Formats: sequence, structure tokens, C-alpha cells
Amino acid sequence: MPLFYVLIFPGFLFLLAFALFAEYFDRKVVARLQNRQGPPWYQPLADTIKLLSKEDIITHDADKPMVNTVPLFGLAAVAASFLYVPMWTKDWHFSFQGDLIVVLYLLTIPAFVLVLLGWYSPNPFGSIGTGRVVTQLFGYEVPFALALLAPAIAAQSWRITDLLAYQDDHYWFALITPIAFLVAIAGLVGKLERVPFDIPHAETEIVEGPMTEYTGRKYALLKLMFSTETVVGAVLIAAIFLGGPHLPWVTKAVAGTAVAPLVGFLAVVLKALFIVFLLSVIKAALTRLRIDQMVRWCLTWLTFPILIQILYIVIVGSM
Amino acid sequence: MLDKIAGWALRKSPWVCHFNGGSCNACDIEIVAALMPRFDLERFGILLQGSPRHADVLICTGPITHQIRDRIIRVYEQAPEPKFVVAVGSCGTSGRPFCGKGAYSVMEGVDSIIPVHMYVPGCPPRPDAITYAVLKLLSTLDPKLADVLAEFEKSIPGIETMVQEGEPVAG
Repeated sequence: MPLFYVLIFPGFLFLLAFALFAEYFDRKVVARLQNRQGPPWYQPLADTIKLLSKEDIITHDADKPMVNTVPLFGLAAVAASFLYVPMWTKDWHFSFQGDLIVVLYLLTIPAFVLVLLGWYSPNPFGSIGTGRVVTQLFGYEVPFALALLAPAIAAQSWRITDLLAYQDDHYWFALITPIAFLVAIAGLVGKLERVPFDIPHAETEIVEGPMTEYTGRKYALLKLMFSTETVVGAVLIAAIFLGGPHLPWVTKAVAGTAVAPLVGFLAVVLKALFIVFLLSVIKAALTRLRIDQMVRWCLTWLTFPILIQILYIVIVGSM
Repeated sequence: MLDKIAGWALRKSPWVCHFNGGSCNACDIEIVAALMPRFDLERFGILLQGSPRHADVLICTGPITHQIRDRIIRVYEQAPEPKFVVAVGSCGTSGRPFCGKGAYSVMEGVDSIIPVHMYVPGCPPRPDAITYAVLKLLSTLDPKLADVLAEFEKSIPGIETMVQEGEPVAG
């Protein structure tokens, strides 16, 4: 049974299907916002299969063991982190004290994967992209971690299920700590390197940044890494700020019945798609910032508000 | 079976890379116009990629200059197999009127350097002709696209005369 959980549902296979659907949803929403028709529903699947079937080129000067293994690590780390975000119930079987920290840590690994990829491919675009990945990391990582810290301080637990139980008893954290919610969304945009923070792989400047030299199945793995990270980030924010499987009135009505897990599951999926929808609107509405503008903006308008939010929580909590 | 799935995926997601081989930019502007939201090539799965490493279709323009010759060979070889080439514009297809006797800097069309699968003559060709060329290239792989092509031919009379097939596409 644990193997079924890990590999099929809610593990790896479900994560892939959900990630491909979320990518389609994202592209379709952006297309509709630009008054286009947009891609058909199987588009991300076709892209992935095509990339998997294409020729795998390793450049002459590249470090072959690194280049061959590193793309796997990103997808593996993201898939591992997906096990710890609750998908349909607040009594999640993989949960333990401190799983919030583990998820945050695993979600940082893709950035390091990109750094290694750019560093080991002999390409100037890769090197520039690597520098930008690291610079951008300092911009979004601190506010993102602090934003997920704020609810944890309020609920006095590092455990995601405890945060869910707290939201069941009180209100959703998006209402209790709205600043933290907005900062977490902005931090997720930076983490996923989406517009306006797509500086590390700015197509019009440095081609694809660290991923420029990677073809075929390595590029497919990297693209999957980003789409799975989108899903995991969206489910994580849905769990921490939007109550996860909790729906007002409905959860209480179906509690204990056989449909309760189904309702919880649908609630999580819809909330995650809502987060993806927000990301798509941001993508369609804004353009790319420069790297110095991005770091300055993040440190001014994300880090300071989230510190004030945490101060507020600590003061109110101690009264 | 696996080949069938891979072929389906390739037909459904042709990513293009745009390469200027020395043209005057008119064709390049039309290529960019074809990729704009008005024509919405993403509904056929077509995406513009910056790197030839990620591309399936190279869209080349211009009479090939002597300076660009080595670069276009390198860019062609950088693209992973299977790959296709579309030559856009009168200069891209044949090099006229710049090449010929006494041309010291310009070679002939794109096909004098790398194999070309589809030609789109015109000075510059229309964006819908470029779209039609890419779709026709894909329809040689996938007969089902004939409906889309027929719709194109009905709505834009004479568009089938705007492109010409080049080297046969394998597979």
C-alpha cells in the first residue's frame, strides 16, 4: 500500500498528470487573456513525449556525469516534496513534526539543479543564467520562507496538518495573515521563474539561460520539474493559506461519511487551480523586470511587509 | 507502437527556431507576425524557441552570405534529430536577385547549404503563407491535417500556389 501511495496516487503518476493538466490550464488561461484560442488539452503531453523521443545531445566540453544525472535530481526532489502536502484530508499519513521545513527545503533544490546545469554546460548563456538564478534566489527565497513561517508561528507548529487543524477551528490563514498570502504568491512566482521574475531564462536576452544546451529527454525532465513544482507550490499554498481540504459548511456536513475524502480532494484541486489561475493572470498582465529591479523590489516590498506581518502575529499571539 | 506515439507527439508540438541567414528583415518581420496572437500558432502547438537545441523546425530566411555559411551549418547541426527546414522568402529559396555572377558576398538560397523541406517564395511572403507552409510540412507526416489545410485553401484562395515542397520528409 505505501508503494501505491508513493508511485501512483497521490504520488508520482498522479503528480505528473496533475502537473501536465495545470500546465495546459495555465497556457489556456494566458491564451484566453490574450484573446487567442490557445493549445488543445493534450498539448503539454505531446510536448513532453516529443522531447523524450528527440535526439539527446551532450556538448563536447560538458561534464558528462554531471550533465546526465543532475536533471533527475530536480524532478526527484519535487516529487518527494509532493508526498508531504495533504491532498484530501487533514490527517495526512506522511505527516510528521517539521514537514513544512522539509517541503521548503526540497522545493529549493530545483534552483540548485539549474545552477549546476548552467555551470557544467559550456555556454555563455548558461553561465549568465546561473548567475541570475543565484541572484534571484536571494530576492524571493527569504520572503517566501518567512511567508510560510507566519502561519506556522500563529499555529505554533511546524506541521502542515496542524496548520490545517488550526484553520478548521479558526479562519483560513489567507484571512488571518493576508500579507503573508500575497507575499507567498509573489515568492512562488520567483521560485517558478515565471513572468515578471523569469529573468534567469529570459528568452529574448539569454535564450533559455541554464537550460540552453539541454535537448531531448533532459529538457523534458527540466520542463516537468517546473510544471510539477508549480503544482506542488500551488497545493502547498492552498494547504497553508486556503485551508487545504477544508470548505466552510461543506466539510462539517460530510464529516465521517464516505464522500468526505472526495470532497476534500476536489477542494484541494480547485484551490490549487485557483493559485495557478492567479499565476497565469500575473503572467499575462506583467512584463519582465531587470535583475537589480527584481531584487530591490523583493527586498523592499516583500521582505519588509512580511516582517511586519510576523511582528503582528507575535504581538497579537502574546497578548 | 512507440514510433507511432513519438510521431504523433512530433506532429502535435513542432517548435520552431527562427534563423536570419542574411536577409533584409522583411521576411523576419512576417515570420514574427505569423507568431503573433492574431494567427495564434499555439493552437497547432507551434512555439518559438530561442535555441536551435530545442527546435524541430528551422525557419531560415535570406540569401546566405559567405559570413553566415559556417554559422548556418553549425545551427543546423545543433538542432536535435528529427529536424526540418523551411526556407522563407525569394532570397531564402533561390538567392535572387542578390546572388549570381559577380556577387562577392552572397551565396545562393538556403538549400545550397542545408537540405530544405519546404519553400515559401515571396518578397516578403505573407504570414498565412508561412503558417500554411509549416502546416503542409506537418501534413506530410500526418494526413489528418488535410482538413485544416483544406480550410486554409478555402478561406484564402490561391494559397496553395504560395508554397512549394522541397526535399521529401522521411518518416
